[in-house]
Amino acid sequence: MSASLNTVLQSASVLITGASGGIGQAIVAACIERGATVFAGGRNEEALGAMQETFGKALRPLVYDVTDEHAVKDTFRQLQRQVSDGLAPPLFGLVNNAGVMLESPLSVTSMDKLKQQLNINFLAPYQHMQLASRLMSRLRRGSIVNIVSQVSEQGSKGMSAYAASKAALTGATKSLAKELAPVGIRVNAVAPGFIDTPLTEHYENEARQKVLQRTVLQRAGTAREVADAVLYLLSEQAGYTTGHVLPVDGHFCP
Amino acid sequence: MDTQQQLQQAFSDALGLPPEKVTDGLTYNTIPEWDSTAHMVLIAELENVFDVMLDTDDIIDMSSVAQAKLILQKYDVSFA
Ligand SMILES: NC(=O)c1ccc[n+]([C@@H]2O[C@H](COP(=O)([O-])OP(=O)(O)OC[C@H]3O[C@@H](n4cnc5c(N)ncnc54)[C@H](OP(=O)(O)O)[C@@H]3O)[C@@H](O)[C@H]2O)c1
Repeated sequence: MSASLNTVLQSASVLITGASGGIGQAIVAACIERGATVFAGGRNEEALGAMQETFGKALRPLVYDVTDEHAVKDTFRQLQRQVSDGLAPPLFGLVNNAGVMLESPLSVTSMDKLKQQLNINFLAPYQHMQLASRLMSRLRRGSIVNIVSQVSEQGSKGMSAYAASKAALTGATKSLAKELAPVGIRVNAVAPGFIDTPLTEHYENEARQKVLQRTVLQRAGTAREVADAVLYLLSEQAGYTTGHVLPVDGHFCP
Repeated sequence: MDTQQQLQQAFSDALGLPPEKVTDGLTYNTIPEWDSTAHMVLIAELENVFDVMLDTDDIIDMSSVAQAKLILQKYDVSFA
C-alpha cells in the first residue's frame, strides 16, 4: 500500500454526527488515530467537552440538534470559518451517524413518531450531505459515509418506521454516489447488525439471545468494528468504492 | 481584480468557458457546459471566491450571470 493511501486523513477534517454516542465515539477515536481533525457533532455539550479533554485540538465540538435546519446551516458556517481561519484542514469526510431507533408496530405508530424518525434518520443526513458536498466540491474530493442498518436492508417486524427512514438513506446514498462522482465525492453506507451500544442496551437477555441466534457469528458486534468499516470507506483505501452498503453484522439472517 | 472580474473568472473556471463568453445573459442549462454538475462546481467556486455560504433557495434561483450578481449582493458583495 502506498503511503498516500494512509495519509489522506492526516490533512483532512471529518464531521461526525452523533459523536458522543456508542458508535460515534468509536468513529471519532478511529479517525483521530488516523490523524484526522474531527468536527464532533452532538447535543450533549458535557459529553463533547469530556471528549475534547481526551483528544485536545484534534477534536472540535459542534453542539447542535441535527433536526434544526437553521442550526445545521449555522454549524456549517462555523465549521467553514474555522477552516478559513486555518484552525482546521478542509472538510474531506462526513459521517452521518446520529440516529434514533423506534420500535413500534404499525397499528400504534403515530404520524408524529414516524416524522421524527424520518427527520432524524433521513432528512437531517440529507441536509448534511447537501451542505458538506458543497464544501467538498471546492477541492473536488470528499467521502461521505452514512450509517444505515441491517433492519432497513432486511426488514424487521415492529420496526417499519425506523427501517423506512434508514432505507431512504440507503436510496440517497446510491443516488448521490452517481450524482457526486463527477465532483470527486464518494458516497457509501455502513449497515450495522446488532451492536453493543446505548441504543441496544435496553434489550433484555431473551430478546438479545433471539437476535444473536440469527447472527451467524453468534455474538453482538462492537462499536469499534463499525468504526473500522467507516474508516475504510472514508479513506483512500476505498478509493474505487462508491454507492456501496457495507454490512457489519456478523451475517445477520432475519 | 475587482468583483466583476472575480465573478467572470469564477464562472469561467467552473464552466470551462473563456471569460469573454461570461456575459450577464448567460443562462443555466442553455449551453452544454452549464449543466447540473457544473452548477454545483459553480456554486462551490462562487462561495469560495466571495467567502459566502449560499442558501439553497438562492442556489435554485441562480439561473443566470445577472441573477448571480443580484443574489451575491444580498451577501454584501457589491458590483460597482
Ligand atoms: N447499535 C446498533 O445495534 C445499531 C444497529 C444498526 C444501526 N445503528 C445506527 O448507528 C448509529 C449510531 O447508533 P448508536 O448505537 O451509537 O446509538 P447511540 O449510542 O444511542 O447514539 C446515537 C447518537 O445520535 C445522537 N442523536 C440522536 N438524535 C439527535 C439529534 N436530534 N441531534 C443530534 N444528535 C442526535 C445522540 O445524541 P444525544 O446524546 O444528544 O442523544 C447519540 O449521540 C445510529 O444511526 C443507529 O441507527 C445502530
